[in-house]
Amino acid sequence: MQVHRASPRLVLRRSRHVALLGRWVASRGLATPSEPYDAVVIGAGPGGYVAAIKAAQLGLRTACIEKRDTLGGTCLNVGCIPSKAMLNNSHLFHQTQHDLKRRGIDVSGVALNLPQMLKAKDDAVRGLTKGIETLFKQNKVDWIKGTASFLSPTRLSVALNDGGETEVDAKNVIIATGSDVAPFPGGAIHIDEQQIVSSTGALALQSVPEKMVIIGGGIIGLEMGSVWSRLGAQVTVVEFLGAIGGAGIDEEIAKQFQRILSKQGIKFMLNTKVLSADKRDGKVFIKTEAAKGGQEAELDADVVLVSVGRTPVTNGLGLDKIGVEVDPKGRIVIDDQYNTSVQGVKCIGDVTFGPMLAHKAEEEGIAAAEYIKSGHGHVNYHAIPSVVYTHPEVAWVGKTEQELKAAGVQYKVGKFPFAANSRAKTNLDTEGQVKFLTEKETDRVLGVHIIGPNAGEMVGEATLAIEYGASAEDIARTTHAHPTLSEAFKEAAMAAYQKPIHF
Amino acid sequence: MMHPSLRLCSAGRARQPLIHFVGKRQWPSTPEAPHAHPAAPPQVRDHFAEFLKKFKTSRNVSSSPAAGAAKSQGSRSDSVQTFSEFWQAPERLWKHDLEEWEVDIVATGGASRY
Repeated sequence: MQVHRASPRLVLRRSRHVALLGRWVASRGLATPSEPYDAVVIGAGPGGYVAAIKAAQLGLRTACIEKRDTLGGTCLNVGCIPSKAMLNNSHLFHQTQHDLKRRGIDVSGVALNLPQMLKAKDDAVRGLTKGIETLFKQNKVDWIKGTASFLSPTRLSVALNDGGETEVDAKNVIIATGSDVAPFPGGAIHIDEQQIVSSTGALALQSVPEKMVIIGGGIIGLEMGSVWSRLGAQVTVVEFLGAIGGAGIDEEIAKQFQRILSKQGIKFMLNTKVLSADKRDGKVFIKTEAAKGGQEAELDADVVLVSVGRTPVTNGLGLDKIGVEVDPKGRIVIDDQYNTSVQGVKCIGDVTFGPMLAHKAEEEGIAAAEYIKSGHGHVNYHAIPSVVYTHPEVAWVGKTEQELKAAGVQYKVGKFPFAANSRAKTNLDTEGQVKFLTEKETDRVLGVHIIGPNAGEMVGEATLAIEYGASAEDIARTTHAHPTLSEAFKEAAMAAYQKPIHF
Repeated sequence: MMHPSLRLCSAGRARQPLIHFVGKRQWPSTPEAPHAHPAAPPQVRDHFAEFLKKFKTSRNVSSSPAAGAAKSQGSRSDSVQTFSEFWQAPERLWKHDLEEWEVDIVATGGASRY
């Protein structure tokens, strides 16, 4: 049996379940104590495990069905967490090699120990996934290890990981099955996770490739490109669009970002379409042409990363059996209370609408549990930040300048460069800027775009500002400690409504 | 002292922050009415009424408050419910705790009574 028994109550319940053959026979009028779960969550990624814990905290008897042997989903196992471990440690390696000398620190004999770096990443992943197991136990969430599919809106069949099958009854089901790596369009490139890899394979390369080609200049591609570039690979990013950074990035920031990464040694081929990737003689040969058609070119690489997006995971759920509606992109259709088209079945995270971000899924997980409990919940889709964890980091929340222009909004811009910030100066880390976009009439903050050191932490302040409807002046009149990078944030707010002091 | 003086306030010259702290959420006891998801594509939003219709007819009973509210607004025929699961019936009709001897009776097909 693969149910992690969190409480004696469950043991008793299940034994009774077996004793009573698990079914209520209506015609005999028997009322069994084999009560269904109040909430069953399918998937234990950031959306699913948070939903499960929140539901349990709200007093709902909750189970979470997860097919992986560890909790945390893509984010913790093969996504956000391991990539951050590699980004942090590869940055330290690169800094030690190329940056410490000018800071008065002479080091010699610096060498990469890639197996140890990969182990450090794995240790971080193990610690965090085990931590969720502990949280499940603390909150009395039952973890069922297996793959779920609907028999009815209230009954799930679970193919258990160690063989066998069980059925679970639920008053409410939350689908949180997440997303998977999108295949290359048209199937022209086959991912083998050795030479042609997805982000999963890119986090586990056993040696530093001499040449690496990255198909797709979005967040994942740029983060992985940074890691392997710092460790010594010659990295070329091929992007179909005319800018890097993916959806939602401000055009001005994207250009500045590309300039900085180019200085770091990453090459970019924008407006370029990849046609094919063929393995020959231990290499991969990538054919490209201009996005608008035209001249073909060929690149060679030791490793190719395909990072062209992600696709929702609904296969095997049996959605058609119960009539859950899916849109043409494979996303489950929901309303603003996370209801699918079938009562009692909710859906959150990457498998439905909105940006595929772990923190967005987490917020939805909490809201979905609250909707089940009380009929109310809250997620503000105008205040969901995005972060690229390169160096410098890039982070943003709210509207971009191009979105405001397209919507005909009268706006003001306030900018402050990190080169004029005292803490950035002392840290010898001055690349980047903070850019505020405010409504001209009211001074309300509509968007904040940051490229610079610690941007990912700083964007939290911007997100709060947007959530609470703050004006640039509200921020500018709030004391920020000196000397800190956050003063650049305050000064950009000052620039948006009047003038900054230090620039 | 950074707070504006009373004189300034009364003259309407003190700055009024735009920021609005929502504070602890006080939700009404009745569930919200569902709307189209804010991140849904236009073609889904345009057909939200159809989605809602499908949702409402998808299952007669749900334990969710939203569904409960929908049911209470329904026609008279909605009040006559048949239940496919015991727990879909009102909780007062459930029997919560079986005694061990009752479990034994079921498990032995009634033999333990004798």
